[in-house]
Amino acid sequence: MDMKEYYLQKIENLKRAKAFQTKEKIRKEGLLDEDDYGRIAVPDEGWEIIPNHEDGSFYGIKGWTDNFCDLMDNHPTYIDENDAFAGRWIYFMSKMRPNKWNPSYPFTHLIANQEKYDIIHGIGDDAHFAPDFELGLQLGWGGLLKKIETSAAINQGEEQEVFYQAHKRAIVSIQGWIKRHIDELALMIQKVEDPLSRENLLKMRETNRAILHHPPKTLRQACQWIIWFHLASRTYNRDGAGGQIDTLLQPYFENDIKNGIIDKEEAIYYLSCFLINDPIYWQLGGPDGNGGDVSSEISFLILEAADKINTSLNITVRVHDHMNQELFDRSLEYLIKHKNAWPRFSGDKGLISGFMKNGYSEELARKRIAVGCNWMSLPGLEYTMNDLVKVNMAKVFEVAFEEVMTSSEIKSTAELWGKFTAHLAKAVTTAADGIKHHLKYQKYNEPELILNLLSYGPLEKGRDVSDGGAMYYNLSIDGAGIAIVADSFAAIEQRIEEEKRLSWEDLQSHLNSNFEDENGERIRTLLQNSERYGQGDAKGDKWASLIAEHFSALVKNESDAEQNQCFIPGLFSWANTVGLGKKVKATPNGRKGGEPINHGANPTPGFVVDGGSLALASAIAKVQPGYGNTAPMQWELDPSLAKQEHAEIIGAIIKTHFELGGTLINVNIMDKEQVLTAHENPDLYPDLVVRITGFTAYFAMLSKEFRQLVVDRILEN
Amino acid sequence: MVLEKGMITNLQRLSLHDGHGIRTVIFLKGCNMRCLWCHNPETFSQKAQIERIEQKCISCGACVEVCGSEALSMHNGKVHYNVNLCKHNGDCTKVCYSGAMHQVGEIYSSEALYKAIEKDIPFFNSTGGGVTFSGGEPLLQHQFLLETIQYFKSKDLNVVVESNFNVSWNIISKFLPYVDHWLVDLKFINAEKHKKWTFTDNQKVLSNIKQLDNEKVSYELRTPLIPTANNIKEELLAINDFVHQLSNCKQFKLNPYHKLGEQKYKNLGLEYNLAHINEMSHSEFQYWSNLIKK
Ligand code: SF4
Ligand code: SF4
Repeated sequence: MDMKEYYLQKIENLKRAKAFQTKEKIRKEGLLDEDDYGRIAVPDEGWEIIPNHEDGSFYGIKGWTDNFCDLMDNHPTYIDENDAFAGRWIYFMSKMRPNKWNPSYPFTHLIANQEKYDIIHGIGDDAHFAPDFELGLQLGWGGLLKKIETSAAINQGEEQEVFYQAHKRAIVSIQGWIKRHIDELALMIQKVEDPLSRENLLKMRETNRAILHHPPKTLRQACQWIIWFHLASRTYNRDGAGGQIDTLLQPYFENDIKNGIIDKEEAIYYLSCFLINDPIYWQLGGPDGNGGDVSSEISFLILEAADKINTSLNITVRVHDHMNQELFDRSLEYLIKHKNAWPRFSGDKGLISGFMKNGYSEELARKRIAVGCNWMSLPGLEYTMNDLVKVNMAKVFEVAFEEVMTSSEIKSTAELWGKFTAHLAKAVTTAADGIKHHLKYQKYNEPELILNLLSYGPLEKGRDVSDGGAMYYNLSIDGAGIAIVADSFAAIEQRIEEEKRLSWEDLQSHLNSNFEDENGERIRTLLQNSERYGQGDAKGDKWASLIAEHFSALVKNESDAEQNQCFIPGLFSWANTVGLGKKVKATPNGRKGGEPINHGANPTPGFVVDGGSLALASAIAKVQPGYGNTAPMQWELDPSLAKQEHAEIIGAIIKTHFELGGTLINVNIMDKEQVLTAHENPDLYPDLVVRITGFTAYFAMLSKEFRQLVVDRILEN
Repeated sequence: MVLEKGMITNLQRLSLHDGHGIRTVIFLKGCNMRCLWCHNPETFSQKAQIERIEQKCISCGACVEVCGSEALSMHNGKVHYNVNLCKHNGDCTKVCYSGAMHQVGEIYSSEALYKAIEKDIPFFNSTGGGVTFSGGEPLLQHQFLLETIQYFKSKDLNVVVESNFNVSWNIISKFLPYVDHWLVDLKFINAEKHKKWTFTDNQKVLSNIKQLDNEKVSYELRTPLIPTANNIKEELLAINDFVHQLSNCKQFKLNPYHKLGEQKYKNLGLEYNLAHINEMSHSEFQYWSNLIKK
């Protein structure tokens, strides 16, 4: 039998199974405005959490360990004979709690301002930093257990003992879960008749036996090890961070090839199974520090595998001056071929120079890679709270505007700016205080039992990664709504101050009536057609730059070297554009009350008549927060441009954006008609994947309201 | 020296079909042909004119109030625009906040034009693109155009000019040192047809193309393929023969007829005379394209 054909067939079967599982998940669990995560539906009468608090939730290291171990002990097995690997993720354990913050550590002192400025505070949120898989691949479960033992001998004390015991129990329960798969495989092997399937199951068993205690030695073992760790970590608290996947797997691949253990076709099959297991955030390519690129043959094979499975994927290609042009070309080819929102691209220049501005070396900066939705992380080295804390700047603007109208004698944009920046400062401090509160008590709330294992420090020091265990604390605060605020300032400056077409009081009364009063709609169009952010040298652009600069400075200002706390600004809204918008009344840019705020750092839809892609790429490059976190460019690429013959042009736009300082590009290519039909009847397009923000999702899995948002975005562009 | 000013209808960013790389196309207003299929009717007249974009109108009535010449009226909550009564003074555009009443045609200096396109220079540079002057017939504003191109060349921009070549060779020759590439329309060989479909003669066009060919500059020819006009075998073969006698033409291709301009005629209050003609199928276009490749 032609093995190439055979593998292709297996991959097709896996894709079909995944499509079925996604449907099942929607049927059983309803719609979800999030990533698909590769998770499968919870079985009927599934596992339930074990609360250790009267509010029905569980807290603290004991609560989490008890729950996790119990879940692992009772977790169903998952083996598909088409797959090279065992295991799937089922339970969203952290989401099963009715309450996510331990009420013994209240933050009542912060609530008033959190509400006033509509801050997503992130207190009690988890993961959102990257483990170093290399550590796990080197040590294996047995090595990690040994590390715990040695560290426990050094760090003695009551609290430490609990800490080490908990991690040990976690590993043992994961091993038990793996072991049950090994046992299950033995039964399956007896039953299966097809010799090739039997051989596959035998190899699967052998692979799992090999890594039950010991570190992996082959490509298949390495992939399976990463999968187990990741599935456990996902189950524990949804962690989705990946790593530099090509360099992680390269030695195993090269060794296997050298030893004649596998051929390329087999490698592609493994990688396909690996990618379909879970849409983790992996980075491909990047600078090697010697003027070259880290990519190698396996980088291409990973792309080929992605091409074959083409489901929801979160692969990021790192773009830099000495990148492998062929890898870049290939990634563009697939982006255009599948129009399935992968891969996306990160910009080395802006990220590295920005991160170095925090006082870090270039060598360290190079290690900070694209492993999350909008975010970069130093695998194993830092704790970040990436993408968890957001300041709704549109809400801050609303507060400032109302204050000007009630208490300022002279009304001007200068006065408004003064009030806005004063409130923004309070909002940022509130957000930072929330993070500090989180850092102080998170270990009593939700320790990072699993991610601690692959971080440098927690085990060595006997301290949770959130509690001084990590090497660096690069804490992220994102600003949301920049375009709403910039356009509002611009509209006031242009229409009230310069053209004198209306007064502050007129504007206020139109806003209060949500533009539903006399002449309201006319004034709304006037405001909307002001010089908006994104047009380039327009008033809105000027304000956007000012806001970005100011926000960055405020966030940086919260840093505290003594406490090892470095705060890093970003501009991002994640999928919260709807929720954040609901909290904000009508704004002077002509936006009606309750409508979504702008997406991340993107201008508001319809900001230019044509040339949107270039305007977008220039505008977003200019508002970069500048310290190594991102202001992503969410690019709705017109299908008429998205043709192979224009690949070079698309590539040039990507590179130019990064050359201008951009940090991350998420691309969507969607056919207008298809999106409209899919919106009406999502079942018709079960495979349709959209990149919502940094993450991708099955369109059919999104709520109607959220689908509408995606449709609007695509139509507007 | 008096600096020239030009009348521009529109700047189109991220154009991929009017020369190499990413380009901004600058449309100059005014044309000396009246091709029936033209999809840029806003460039016919050299003067500023009013365009009404119905979909943007919110029926506030402000325009009707300021219009002193009864070109605008309100019936059943809808605005009606009568181009024959319009003085194109733009009063309505100043009170129309939605942009439904829009003035096409803006005066630019060379510097202002440069400022307007400057923001895309990084993208020109990364793709070998630049600026394309089109129209209308850009060479009708030749003094302004020459000054602008010289200015743009001093800034190292790549410049393409798209022309119908229905101007005197004297004018064209002044541009030769500055233009990086020419896009020239070759519509018909048959003089009568040319006259019928464009309302102008084609002798000057054909002789200018031959002259250009002798100059050994970079240029290409494009034929708009119009159903019932020149999708006729003998006409296309004649065009093809003409092209094959040239020595330096870099590329020759057909551009398919499309109706994207139809709405613009409506907005300008003009009649679109080819409303009855359908766009041709892809396979038919392929057939004709193959014919000229032989
Ligand atoms: S431009 Fe025409 S329609 Fe507008 S106000 Fe003047 S005359 Fe009336
Ligand atoms: S001013 Fe503009 S929006 Fe108002 S009725 Fe006239 S065309 Fe329509």
